[in-house]
Amino acid sequence: MRAARRELALVAAIAVVGLLPLFGVPGFYRAGNLRNLAIDNLPVLVAGIGMTVVIISAEIDISIGSLFAVCGALSGLAAKAGWPMPLVALATLAAGAVIGAANGLLVARARVPAIIATLATMAILRNAIIRATGGAWIQDLPAGFQWFGLPQAVAQPVYLGAAAALFLAAAWALRHTAAGRSFYAVGCDHEAARRIGLAPGRVVLAAFTIMGALAGAAALLNFTRYPTIETNAGVGLELQVIAAVVVGGAAVTGGRGTLLGTLLGVILLGMIGTVFTFLHVNPAWGKAIQGAIILAAVVSDTAFGKRERDD
Amino acid sequence: MPPPLLELRAGSRTYPGARALREVDFDLRPGEVHALLGENGAGKSTLIRLLTGMERSDAGGSLLVDGAVVAEPTPRLMNAMGIAAVYQNPTLFDELSVMENLCIGEGGPLVSWRKRRAEARSRLARVGVELDLDRPVRHLRMAEKQAIEIARALGQRARALILDEPTASLAQNEAGRLLDLVESLRAAGTGILYISHRLEEVMRIADRFTVLRDGVRVGTHARGSVDRAGLLRMMAGRDLAELFPKEKVPIGEVALETRGLGCESGGVSGVSLTVRRGEILGIGGLVGSGRTELARILFGLTPADSGEIRIGGKPVAIRSVGDAMARGLAYVPEDRKAHGVIAELPVWENVTLAALRRLCGNWPDEPREEALAAGLAAELGVRAPSLHAATSTLSGGNQQKVALARWIATGPSVLILDEPTQGIDVGAKAEIHRLMGALARRGLAIILISSELAELLALADRIAVMRRGRLAGILPAAEAGREELLRLALGEERS
Amino acid sequence: MTEAPAVRPGSAARWFPNAEWILLLLLGAEGAAFGVFGDHFLTAANGFEVVRLAAEVGLLAFGLTPVIKAGGIDLSVGSMMGLAAVVLGGAWSSLGLPLWLAAAFALAVGAAGGAFHGLLITRLRVPPLIATLGTYSLYRGIAEAVTGGYGSTSGFPAWFLDLGQGYLGGVVPVQLPIVAAVFIALWVMLHRATIGREITAIGFSPEGARFAGIRTARATVRVYATCGTCAALAGILYVSRIGQAKADAGLGYELTAIAAVVLGGTSITGGRGTLQGTLLGLLCLVVLQDGLRLSGQPGEIAGLCAGLVLLLAIMLNQSWSRARRASQVEGLRNPDPKSPGKFKMKNSQIAVLVAAILAGALLIAGSNWWLVRSLGRAPAGPVPPARRITVAMTPKTVTDPYFVTCREGAAEAARELGVDLLWDGPEYADPAIQNEIVDGWITKGVDVVAASLVNPKAISSVLRKAQEHGISVVTWDSDAETDARAFFVNQATAAGIGSTLSDEGARLAGGRGQYAIITTTLTDTNQNEWIRAIEERMAAAHPAMELATIHPCDGQRDKAMTEARNIIRAYPGVRVLIAICSPAVPGAAEALKQEDNRRVMLTGLSTPNLCRSYVHDGWVGSIVLWNTRDLGYLTVYAAAAVRDGRLKRGDSAFAAGRLGTLRVEGDQILLGKPFVFNRANIDDFRF
Repeated sequence: MRAARRELALVAAIAVVGLLPLFGVPGFYRAGNLRNLAIDNLPVLVAGIGMTVVIISAEIDISIGSLFAVCGALSGLAAKAGWPMPLVALATLAAGAVIGAANGLLVARARVPAIIATLATMAILRNAIIRATGGAWIQDLPAGFQWFGLPQAVAQPVYLGAAAALFLAAAWALRHTAAGRSFYAVGCDHEAARRIGLAPGRVVLAAFTIMGALAGAAALLNFTRYPTIETNAGVGLELQVIAAVVVGGAAVTGGRGTLLGTLLGVILLGMIGTVFTFLHVNPAWGKAIQGAIILAAVVSDTAFGKRERDD
Repeated sequence: MPPPLLELRAGSRTYPGARALREVDFDLRPGEVHALLGENGAGKSTLIRLLTGMERSDAGGSLLVDGAVVAEPTPRLMNAMGIAAVYQNPTLFDELSVMENLCIGEGGPLVSWRKRRAEARSRLARVGVELDLDRPVRHLRMAEKQAIEIARALGQRARALILDEPTASLAQNEAGRLLDLVESLRAAGTGILYISHRLEEVMRIADRFTVLRDGVRVGTHARGSVDRAGLLRMMAGRDLAELFPKEKVPIGEVALETRGLGCESGGVSGVSLTVRRGEILGIGGLVGSGRTELARILFGLTPADSGEIRIGGKPVAIRSVGDAMARGLAYVPEDRKAHGVIAELPVWENVTLAALRRLCGNWPDEPREEALAAGLAAELGVRAPSLHAATSTLSGGNQQKVALARWIATGPSVLILDEPTQGIDVGAKAEIHRLMGALARRGLAIILISSELAELLALADRIAVMRRGRLAGILPAAEAGREELLRLALGEERS
Repeated sequence: MTEAPAVRPGSAARWFPNAEWILLLLLGAEGAAFGVFGDHFLTAANGFEVVRLAAEVGLLAFGLTPVIKAGGIDLSVGSMMGLAAVVLGGAWSSLGLPLWLAAAFALAVGAAGGAFHGLLITRLRVPPLIATLGTYSLYRGIAEAVTGGYGSTSGFPAWFLDLGQGYLGGVVPVQLPIVAAVFIALWVMLHRATIGREITAIGFSPEGARFAGIRTARATVRVYATCGTCAALAGILYVSRIGQAKADAGLGYELTAIAAVVLGGTSITGGRGTLQGTLLGLLCLVVLQDGLRLSGQPGEIAGLCAGLVLLLAIMLNQSWSRARRASQVEGLRNPDPKSPGKFKMKNSQIAVLVAAILAGALLIAGSNWWLVRSLGRAPAGPVPPARRITVAMTPKTVTDPYFVTCREGAAEAARELGVDLLWDGPEYADPAIQNEIVDGWITKGVDVVAASLVNPKAISSVLRKAQEHGISVVTWDSDAETDARAFFVNQATAAGIGSTLSDEGARLAGGRGQYAIITTTLTDTNQNEWIRAIEERMAAAHPAMELATIHPCDGQRDKAMTEARNIIRAYPGVRVLIAICSPAVPGAAEALKQEDNRRVMLTGLSTPNLCRSYVHDGWVGSIVLWNTRDLGYLTVYAAAAVRDGRLKRGDSAFAAGRLGTLRVEGDQILLGKPFVFNRANIDDFRF
């Protein structure tokens, strides 16, 4: 039960924020609005799964916003080249995984601290895509690109279902497989992990590769919502995702974090903007409120942590 | 005769620029306790790394299990063959639960938490410890962590168990229980490789002794064919006394006095004691009995919330380390790596770090500092390539001397030493004992916290014993016997 | 017995303990390469320009060095610049404080904000990354909330503007002594004072430092407070350089500053690092950027190279320190005179690697140089001009599709006229970056600068400076103050755009009801002018229309879609959305389409290509724009004509290639009125 404290606190926070729309314009709790909210936040959640794995492994990846844009652009180019959509999807995931693995190699093999390695790849990828596209969008995509050619009413539940399945599978794997536990072990202590027969370098590489592939998946879930691709997307996505994961209780020092926490973090941070729109709050306050909530969440955690240390 | 359970033939290991091990033969038979002895840096850790598959021998060496050569040893493979190891510093996963730590890295690709819970419970029962299975281990005490590590190793149905300094951080009674456990494992046919600096223990349980020196095997002897002095000689390569009893020096006025001192969060209460100039006050007791916590209160790390501290007869408030230092207190902590020295700093900076503000104010004067550091390094016999070398390049014993030098540099009147000789080799231990004598002669009041009774008995003038956060009693060392000290430490449960 | 000799390390190891000398090599090589390929790179004037470019990021980097050395990080420094700017402006203009007092107040806010981090970290044990991630949003958020995003202060007195724009003795930028003073103060603090030693100890081991009697909490709070103060000072210099105090000051600066610190050899895990290293790291990045600009390379190449240099330098440093550690251990175990030999060998490997990087950089710069020269030789027209002129054109952002189409037109005109076209602008509408770009062109010595201004107040002064250097200046799309340019290529005035959008919005809504605006960011100057124009026109001509809300989309289609959906659900009275940012129109259109909402109408500013299908399907009622391709085309024609004297004040007509003859009114060349694209005519336009 001890481990669930942060989750309970988040549920409470979500409940409080969730009550606010009752004092605003009606309509927040209409199914359509909730569905929109969910669909809009799917990319953050999917990237958040990868970020949780990376942070549990005591690393960090700030290149995902750029990677997200690169994957989106590549998916568009592949679709335009006439590849069938399943192949486009696969290629996008693979591209993400390869670039993620490059990050992983820099960290695990070349021993570049993760924050620096991914700061560099963030700059490289973002500038590369500006160089390659000149900022132009990718247009005239085949009709089958948007929603994978499905009618929107069918596609949206499918997307939600796919993300839910991915989330559940990842949560299960992180908890119930030896491979999942190895991220926790390596995040706690490389030497101790080595002693139980793990290869920390490989585990870190795997974490970044998964992160990359999931950044690709997030890009797919995002860009296939449209008939065109904005090549400059995903600016600031990394901070949004890291904030959600950290608010969800993962420790940046590694070894601690759950996907349930990440889900709750995504929900809390994801709903704030919409809730305040329904309350007709001036959007100029958006950033300040977001910052205050992040701080409140981590500070409350310390209060919990302190009580824990004392008992 | 059956082949040995585990055997290393002509094991060598060269690190960049250093040969840690040269053609060492070693074997472990089922049902024996084989002690591995040697000073720090003699190659014991390297030998263990070879035996557990963490590293491989250079060409020419081979590792055998049950007489068969293991071509490509890895930790996982050796584990699967029943070779388990418990390391000196618990290598647990701090954020993970007790349950997970007990079973980590075992089983197939899937994890069944129900099975793990049952398994964890039975493993803990086997070492006789009760712990909350869901608690993250970062909240546990050292002894509890050690117990988990041993329980994990045992649980893997190990046929060969490697114990590297398992009692270093355990107090006497806990150590005794561990030795009982080792004996029962031996009786059950497990082969045990036992490493310890405590010769006493080793003499008690080992069937054979192998001594390493400078990466070379000096010899292997059966029980009874060698005595304590002989082992010491083999380890050091020369005759060495183990302990340097304190010489008689005149005892002066009271330097520090506590009255009913306590701190709730540290679990210490009602401690009243005095220590005089020129005196060494030993503090014994079990690990977790409040010895280190008492030191932390005195040094302002966890300020007291009851009672008072008097220095030179006047009550003083010690709310922070700064207060304690201003009153002439100095504390050489137990955990050398995390607290004693800052390993990455050069030797001279480590030595002057605590005295810096007092010595130079806001603007350091490097030549003066270097002179101070050089003087202390010479006085303490610190062996270092240079004063500008990183402290991490020094051996454990020399690092401990640097930690001591740092506090001597502040010119303290009361020096608190917490397990100052834990895990350091015999030579350095003797030097530190000699130094304590010299400091007492200079008129310092010394508080010596130690888990090693022999050390307390040889060095202290009086011995205070802690039990469950309280002072169980204070005895003059001359009158105190082991029995008496143990009785105080354990309370009613007589051993 | 002297068992521990006091052998002092050599002076190189003392000054550059973390192999910072690699950066000296890199800097030297950059200098050599750009000396060859860049125009006017190796001049004193450019040297001082580099200083000016480095000033604000440098202050952040210098302040961050002790923080990172103490094992921390501060992501909020850029946000603190914004907050300090707003505090400065607010205290001066609203509270009526004397300007120097307002500046002191802003510095105090910086110190307090930094100390707040220190408290979060030491008292509440929040990891620094997380604490400052929170304040990264919080500080910028407060700045935006207080000003509503758009509020800004300008009209600062000349002495204050001189801090960021003036030259001492006509050559030395005023920032130089200020930044140098901060550098020296921090250097003394970090390398000569006791607190510097304490910072090192804390960086290596906070617990170890506490056990050594160091007051770690106090030192940590001081370090963060110092960093916050430096950030506030950077904010003040920024305001003085731009001439305007707004919430968007320093957006995105934190990453460059951190990169400079880390490149300079400071260990991100704490303990190791020098301030001189940070200075070298900073110069490497700034010189790279400046040199590539003077070699005619756009900003994204500089960004790419900066990323690569950062990676390679850190990898080299890692392998070097591993080699050093190995040799130290070796020296201990085996005091053998041979070990230095091995060590040298490692160094030579590193030298080879450094050479490889430099060769790469040379290749990039060189290939471009060659490319430009070879293109130059290709005949461009029947009568090649004696000397090709260079037109340097800067859009508000390079990533906006609007400007992407402008660029196509500009390139077309450049081909026809045989002029060299440079195209570079900020990645996001950042006046400071645009200011730097134009400054770089002045040093490079281009013939004409054609600018679409991110912010008229911020850029006009640098355009005046360009004119003083004999460069012709025209503006396009977004005008400067009139004395700062010769001509303005006017596609439409703010009032024109505002009234057309209002009329379209009111028409689509049927003349009554609420309307909502989706803008780029709340701090965007141009958009805010349009919003004002829309509101004025609505009030005057369509009194039954009422503004419901204004939401920013950060120039991102994704966010525009979310905001549009939220608005139509949360503001049921809204009849029409006016999206004044080109990615926002397709974003909002997609929202309407996915919501299947035919009740709410949509109009806005965007390009036909982005909106074509939505216009056909009726999700977008109309878009208002001019032919952006023609705008770029016309601008280059005007720029070239101004340069060779074919276009002078007083002319009333001007022949612009395929556009025919256009009207000139005073100092404005008119492209024509804003055009309304709708289902009937959109297919006639392919851009």
